[in-house]
Amino acid sequence: MSWLSGFNGPQTLGSGLGFWSSFAAAVVLLAAAPWLVESYLVNNLAYFLLWTFMALGLSVIWGHAGILSFGQTAFFGLAGYSYGVISINLGDANGLTWVAFSGALLLTALFAALVAYFMFYGGVGNVFVGIVTLSITLVMETFMAQTAGPEWAIGSARLNGFNGMSNMPPLTMPGIVEGGLVLEGNALYWFVLALAVSVYLGLRRLVNSRFGNVLVAIRENPDRAEMLGYDVRLYQLAAFTLGGALAGVSGVLYTTWGSYITPSSMGLTAAALPIIWTAAGGRKDITTTFVATVFLLWLSQTLAVKGAQYALVLMGVILLLVVLLAPDGLVLLASRALARTAAELRRRRT
Amino acid sequence: MLATGIGFAYQFADSFAFLILSSIGLAVIFGMMGVINLAHGEFIMCGAYVTVLSARAGLPLPLAMVLGAAVAGAIGILIEFLVIRRLYSRLFDSIVATWAISVIATQGMLIVVGPSLEGLKTPFGSFELAGLTFSWYRILLPVVALAILASLYLLFVKTPFGVRARATIQKPEMARALGVNTDRVYSLTFGLGAALAGLTGALYAPTMTTVPTMGSAFIVQAFVTVVVGGTDVLLGAAPAATVLAFIQSLLTASNGQLIGQVGLLLTVIVVVRLMPKGISGWMLKGSE
Amino acid sequence: MTPNTLVHSLVAASVAVAASVAVSLSPALAADPVKIGLLEDQSGNFAIAVIPKIQATQLAIEEINAKGGILGRPVRLTHYDTQSDNTRFQEFARRLIQQDKVDVIFGAFSSASREAIRPIMDRAKQLYFYNNQYEGGVCDSNVFVTGAVPEQQFSTLIPWLMEKYGKKVYTIAADYNFGQISAEWVRNIVKKGGGSMVGEEFIPLSVSQFSQTIQNIQKAKPDVLITLLVGANQASFYEQQAAANLNIPMGSSVNVGQAYEHKRFKPPALKNMYVTANYIEEIESPASNDFKKRFRAKFPDAPYINQEAANAYNVVYLYKAAAEKAKSTDMKAVRKALESGDICTDGPSGKVCIDPKSHHQSHTIYLVKVNADHSVTIPKVWNDIKPYWLGEAGCDLSKKDDTSQYTPSSPPKK
Repeated sequence: MSWLSGFNGPQTLGSGLGFWSSFAAAVVLLAAAPWLVESYLVNNLAYFLLWTFMALGLSVIWGHAGILSFGQTAFFGLAGYSYGVISINLGDANGLTWVAFSGALLLTALFAALVAYFMFYGGVGNVFVGIVTLSITLVMETFMAQTAGPEWAIGSARLNGFNGMSNMPPLTMPGIVEGGLVLEGNALYWFVLALAVSVYLGLRRLVNSRFGNVLVAIRENPDRAEMLGYDVRLYQLAAFTLGGALAGVSGVLYTTWGSYITPSSMGLTAAALPIIWTAAGGRKDITTTFVATVFLLWLSQTLAVKGAQYALVLMGVILLLVVLLAPDGLVLLASRALARTAAELRRRRT
Repeated sequence: MLATGIGFAYQFADSFAFLILSSIGLAVIFGMMGVINLAHGEFIMCGAYVTVLSARAGLPLPLAMVLGAAVAGAIGILIEFLVIRRLYSRLFDSIVATWAISVIATQGMLIVVGPSLEGLKTPFGSFELAGLTFSWYRILLPVVALAILASLYLLFVKTPFGVRARATIQKPEMARALGVNTDRVYSLTFGLGAALAGLTGALYAPTMTTVPTMGSAFIVQAFVTVVVGGTDVLLGAAPAATVLAFIQSLLTASNGQLIGQVGLLLTVIVVVRLMPKGISGWMLKGSE
Repeated sequence: MTPNTLVHSLVAASVAVAASVAVSLSPALAADPVKIGLLEDQSGNFAIAVIPKIQATQLAIEEINAKGGILGRPVRLTHYDTQSDNTRFQEFARRLIQQDKVDVIFGAFSSASREAIRPIMDRAKQLYFYNNQYEGGVCDSNVFVTGAVPEQQFSTLIPWLMEKYGKKVYTIAADYNFGQISAEWVRNIVKKGGGSMVGEEFIPLSVSQFSQTIQNIQKAKPDVLITLLVGANQASFYEQQAAANLNIPMGSSVNVGQAYEHKRFKPPALKNMYVTANYIEEIESPASNDFKKRFRAKFPDAPYINQEAANAYNVVYLYKAAAEKAKSTDMKAVRKALESGDICTDGPSGKVCIDPKSHHQSHTIYLVKVNADHSVTIPKVWNDIKPYWLGEAGCDLSKKDDTSQYTPSSPPKK
């Protein structure tokens, strides 16, 4: 029982029976989606879910540790390209794509740790972290965009510059079926869903643990945390590495979903998006970040489908209203509005 | 040899002007007020569009440029009143707000005015020196950039408004207690930043294509110059632009535009690492 | 925040999802239409060059429907605004294939967006037409290309310029696949024609200030400057070089014909600019004038009718011809019909045909000269230039399936 209580704590919202039973119901509903809705919607939902890892990573770095990083897309791109390079060279027999997956994540985590060491152990803080991480992701984009020639290849994988790298094999589970189960369609959806749920639960434990509490202490007052004996820079490095690795998970999943990765995934517009999702949703809590990311992705896509060239304007107006009217993020705004309506209805009935 | 030297000096002055002019508006709004203004590029675009439209309607170019800056400033005051004012207690949220404004502005411009405008001709023609031809106008730009920087410095250090503005930004309650109308100061300062961005757009309008997304050509340079400049932005902007422009020009001249661009960004990373409070922070360290 | 409010929000979220699902499952329309999917950027960076394409496709479909449709069935167009964003291309390609279940997809402007959706087309074996000029080399069973390719644009332009102005050539190109591969083509053709490359510069897409580039060009003293610049940032080069009085004849395969720079920059920024395009608005042939009349009747406010608009118009008629030859809209059958060798259409630039081996299209190439006042003359026209390179290099899709993109320095393995 006490192990279960690790999922609740001061850093996450929602802790009672009501929350957890709705959570379980939501997971069951989502898992059953392939039998409830058509395959396009399932695929689309998998697409929305794969971005949540990057947003959750940013929630850890920014929402919990208080470090604004503009560079999540650098790790996204690095992981995507690494997966592409490794999987094209190794092939997809016998589950070798998982070697590519783990290899990509390891590389990305290492790079994130390196960047973190460079910054935090060099005394770089606050807005300067944002600028350094932005510069890193832009350098990567600019550099990768010109790798079009055939000399830019790692093994048999051509980087292919601005046009992007494709032809990488999708993730394949060995066994299960003849030739291995290719993670496409419903299989990919369930994989992404299972991964999202596990990462979410894992992060819940992490941010509510001593580690998470120290991160928040550092966010609130780094000097005080230092004086209380915590190695601030080590905690920041750990948080940043974790956030970068999560961005890498999104990167690999995106690459395998679309069989494609491009330098513009690391550009300025792409770099701003995780910050928008996290900020609009309420960055300090991973549940609101998760829900807001999926919602905003769905909203911007629906607007693009229905609204033609007005889609972007409408998206901007909605975000503007959200940030002005909802200082705690739109998920909490929506919840409170619903709670008030429910309370009002209850009151009217009596 | 002489041609190379002159060529390099010209190129350096050009890069320097671009960095300074990209960043002055942002220096006031972000550097001084702390508002992370992702719509900075769109104020530049606004100034450019107003300049082009009014010049084509017959207004002489200098007046058209002043009008461009003025309209951008007025829109800045409006945005400060409607949006930014509510965010001073939560400056991180200005990211989302200004990003949203930027999207609305670029897309709105596309819908209302169309994907492109017929542009203006660069004034003043060209001259020849050491076998190369140069544009007079591009020599003018660094001069204007320095003049604007100097005026800003004088404004914020020597005039009563400037002193009040800096006091308000540093300690708003104290300033209010001393009788300063802080709302008006915020409004005017933000408007000034927007007007400066509009002026940048106006100055560069005769040299670039007028498209709704033209702000994106300035925004990265603006942010890196302001941040590398450091905590005292008026002091740091010129040294930051000097260092960055020098390295970028050197690399572009010897290895091409790609290395120049990448080199600029890498220089930013190195400088910030060596001087974690920016250049002005490093310069002021001794005086603390 | 109480547990209740979070419960309510999760419930509401589920309701919202269910509602949107219900809305998305809209009832099918009557009279089984032929469904064409369009993925084009109506907003974002590429909108300038792409909006005429959307309009041209809409015009063609309206005309075809007025005459009875394809195989007696009405044509229905589903267009999604991809916002010049590669991820939107991926999302909406999937939507067109899985939800709208279209019979054919047209679209994409930048090569990156085409490459983003080509894997999706290949995985679903979806018939797809790319209607834009590009760097060439796509040898893909599911893909047909109506845009012009380097052998059509450069093998005409470069020898003509070298003969008129001199053999020393300088290239400035956007630093990515299209620019690099096009520059490779220029290099090869210059060498074959006995000329020399006095300089080559590659410029990242984000650059908008060209002082150093202009100096470099002046120091090299070329006879001809080939400009392969892409995007609004890079287009600023033209005004800046005019302000510095560079005064060198310029040649391009990509400017003027797509984003009509000669109408957007003040004269004489594009003075002495030569472009090989497969169509432009200023062409005064009977076919072109008739096309312009119909186009402007439907879209009176259209700023310009560019070369890609002609492609986007022709492709609808080409698809119609193929579907009617195959007597069905089944994608395999239509593909077979397209590979028969006699699928052609008489469009704004004359007769154009699909080449069975490479899946690309023949073109009439016009040499467009921009004068000092930005008026346009057409000194030369090359008729029926075939897309010969891929077939000669070893790509024969009528005999062997493939899903690759090749370049001169990495051709198909023999």
